Amino acid sequence: MEGNKPQLIIDGKRTDGRGFDELRPIKIEANILKNANGSAYIEWGNNKILAAVYGPKEALPKHTADPTMAIIKSRYTMAPFSSLEEHGRSGPNRRATEISKVTSEVFENIIMREMFPGTEIDIFIEVLQSDGGTRAAGITVASVALAAAGIPMYDLPYAVSAGKIGDQMVLDLNKIEDNYSDADIPMAISPRNGDILLLQMDGSITKEDFSTAYSMVKKAGATISKIQKDALKAPYEKIIEKYR
Amino acid sequence: MNRIIVPGEVIAEKEIRMPYTYTEGGKTYSTVLGIYEAEHSSIIPLEGLWSPNRDDDVVGIVEEDKGSVYIVDLNSPYTGVIISKFSQTELAPGDVIYAKVKEFDEKKEVILMHPRKLYGGKIINVKPSKVPRIIGNKNTMLNELIQGSKSNIIVGMNGMLWVKGGDVALATEAILKIQEEAHTQGLTDRIKKMFEKTGV
Amino acid sequence: MGYIDIVKNEYIKEILHKGIRDDGRKFMQYRSIQASVGTIPNAEGSAEVDIGNTKVLAGIKIDVDTPMPDKPEEGNLIVSAELLPLASPDYDIGPPSPAAIELARVVDRGIRAANILDTQSLFIEKDKVWSVFIDIYVLNYDGNLFDASTLSAVAALLHTRQPKYEEEKVIREGTLPKLKTNGMVTSCTFGKINGNILLDPDGSEESIMDTRLTIANDENNNIKAMQKGLHGTFSIKEVESMIDTTFEKSKDLRSVLSSLEN
Repeated sequence: MEGNKPQLIIDGKRTDGRGFDELRPIKIEANILKNANGSAYIEWGNNKILAAVYGPKEALPKHTADPTMAIIKSRYTMAPFSSLEEHGRSGPNRRATEISKVTSEVFENIIMREMFPGTEIDIFIEVLQSDGGTRAAGITVASVALAAAGIPMYDLPYAVSAGKIGDQMVLDLNKIEDNYSDADIPMAISPRNGDILLLQMDGSITKEDFSTAYSMVKKAGATISKIQKDALKAPYEKIIEKYR
Repeated sequence: MNRIIVPGEVIAEKEIRMPYTYTEGGKTYSTVLGIYEAEHSSIIPLEGLWSPNRDDDVVGIVEEDKGSVYIVDLNSPYTGVIISKFSQTELAPGDVIYAKVKEFDEKKEVILMHPRKLYGGKIINVKPSKVPRIIGNKNTMLNELIQGSKSNIIVGMNGMLWVKGGDVALATEAILKIQEEAHTQGLTDRIKKMFEKTGV
Repeated sequence: MGYIDIVKNEYIKEILHKGIRDDGRKFMQYRSIQASVGTIPNAEGSAEVDIGNTKVLAGIKIDVDTPMPDKPEEGNLIVSAELLPLASPDYDIGPPSPAAIELARVVDRGIRAANILDTQSLFIEKDKVWSVFIDIYVLNYDGNLFDASTLSAVAALLHTRQPKYEEEKVIREGTLPKLKTNGMVTSCTFGKINGNILLDPDGSEESIMDTRLTIANDENNNIKAMQKGLHGTFSIKEVESMIDTTFEKSKDLRSVLSSLEN
C-alpha cells in the first residue's frame, strides 16, 4: 500500500480543499420516520445516515432485562449499496458488531437508565451512504434521535474523529484519508464537561498528538452541538413561526 | 421568555430543584427536549413518556387475567395492575378500561383503581407529553373537542384516548392537530374555527 | 399483536362496513405518492419512494460477475429486500423473513417479465457479465410494500449509470452511459377485509386483511406478474375488476416514473 499512497495534503490543503481542523458540512433533520419514537437523518460530508429509536419497551428476551435500569441495544449496519465500491454484504459483520457495542456504551452513560427498569431502548443506525467517519456521524445522529424520542439524558453527546496524515494532525477524516492516514482517533464527547465517552485509535501517534486531537475534537464540538440543537428545535420553531 | 431546550443544556448557574433537571457542579441542567418557562421556573417536555402520578386518569386495555390481578396494557414502558378483589366489574383480556392511578410502586408497576369498562369506539394514541394540551386549562380544549365533534371522548394521561359516536374522523383530525401544534399560541381558537368550518 | 391493535382493528372493520376508511380515503384511492431518484450518489442507481407513511429506498450496484451456466451471454439481476428493524416496531433483527423474500421475488418477477433490463447488453466477454444488484430498503412501514418497492426499484433502474470495464478494472466514476432499459412496469396491490376490496392498504388495514392481490402491468396493459397472498379467496369477478382498476391506476404510477429527473 505504501507505494500507491496518494498525496493527502498539497499546499496546506486536504484532498477535498479543507483546512487541517475543518469539519465537512453537516446537516441534521429530526423526526423523519413516523413509526419510531424518535428519529433523525444526518448528511455529514458524503455520509448519509438514518437513526431511529424504539422504546423504552419491555426487554426481550426476558433474561436480558435488568430489574434496576433500562438496557441499551444499538445496531449499526451499512447498506450494501452504501459505498462507491462493489456491492457489499448486507447485515452486521464483525466491524459493525464492534461499532454497535461501543455505541451502546456511549449512551449507557448518558441516558437516565434507572428511570426505566426492566426495559430496553433500541437504537438503530443505518448507513445509507458512507464516506469515512460513519461511526462518529452515527453517534451524533443517534443522540438527536434519542432526544427527539423524549428520552431523559444527562447530555447530548457528539462524536467526530481526528487523525494523523504524515506529521500533521487533522480533523474529521474522509474515506480516502481514513484509508491512507497514519492514525485515526474517533471520539465521542459529553459537551457539558468534555468527558470522553468513546475513544478508539489505530495507527501511531505521540502523547502530544493525542492532546492536539482532543483539542481539535473539542473545538469542532461547538459547531456539531449547535447543529444538533438546531435540528431538534427546528420542527417546533417552524410551527411556532407559522402561528406567530 | 420561553425557550426550547435540549438535554444537557444549562438552565441555571446555580443548583435548583425542578422536574426534568439535574444538578452537577453548582449548575442545573435539563434532561429533556422541552420548553423552559423562566417565569414559572418550569420545564414542559415536548416529547416523551408518561411518568405515572397518583390520581392520573388512564385508558388501557386488559391484557391478562391472572386470577388475583388483571394486567393492563397502558401503551407505556410500565405495566398497569388491577387487584381483582378491588374491581367492581368482571374484566377480560381485550376489554378497554378507564381507571385512576392508585400508586406507582417501587417495582415500577402502576396500580390502578376504579376501573370502568368502555364499549366499542376508537382508540387513538398520542404523545403523552401532549395530553395536558388536549385537555386544556380547566378542560377548555376537551370541551371544545366534545362539543365540536359531538363525540364521546375519554383522555388518559398515558396518551391513550377513547372516542365514540359523533364525527369520529373529525375528532381524530382535531386531536392530531392539537398534538402537532401543542406548543403554539391561540390553539383553542384555531380548533374552534376548525369545527365552525366543518362542524357537525 | 397486542390487545391494543385488536381493539383498533375492530374499529376499522366496523367503519369499513359503512363504506369508510379510517383515513377518509375512497376504496380505490392511493395515498399520496412521492418519488425522487439519485438519493445515494455512491450507488449506481437509487430512488426513494413514499406512499403515505410507507418509505422505501432502492439502491443499485453493478459489478463484474460470472454468467449463469444456462445463460452464458446474459447478465444477472439480483433483487433483495430488507425489512429494516428501524422501519417498524414489529420488525425483528435477523436473516430475511419469508415476507422480505416474497417481497423481493415479486418485485424481481415484474421487472424480469417486463424485460425492463436488457440482460444481453450486460455481456462483457466470455465468462464475464455485469450483475445488477437491486437492494430494497424498507425505512418506514405503513402497508403496501409491494407497490412502493416496485416503484422505487424501477425508478432507480431508469436512472442508473452503467460502469465501464477497462483493463480488468471497473470504472464507476466520471462520464458514464445510462444502464440500458426498456419500458416500465408498475404494480397495484389490493387488500380484502370482510368482503371489502381496498386499493393500497395501509399498515392497519394490512394487519386485518384476509386476502391480498398484487398485479403488475406494463404500459401496454399486459399483465406481467400477479401474486395472491394470505388465507382468503377472490372470485373471478373480483380479480377481473381489480385488473381493470390496475390498468386505470397504473397510468398515475407511470406518470410518477416519467416525471423523475436525476
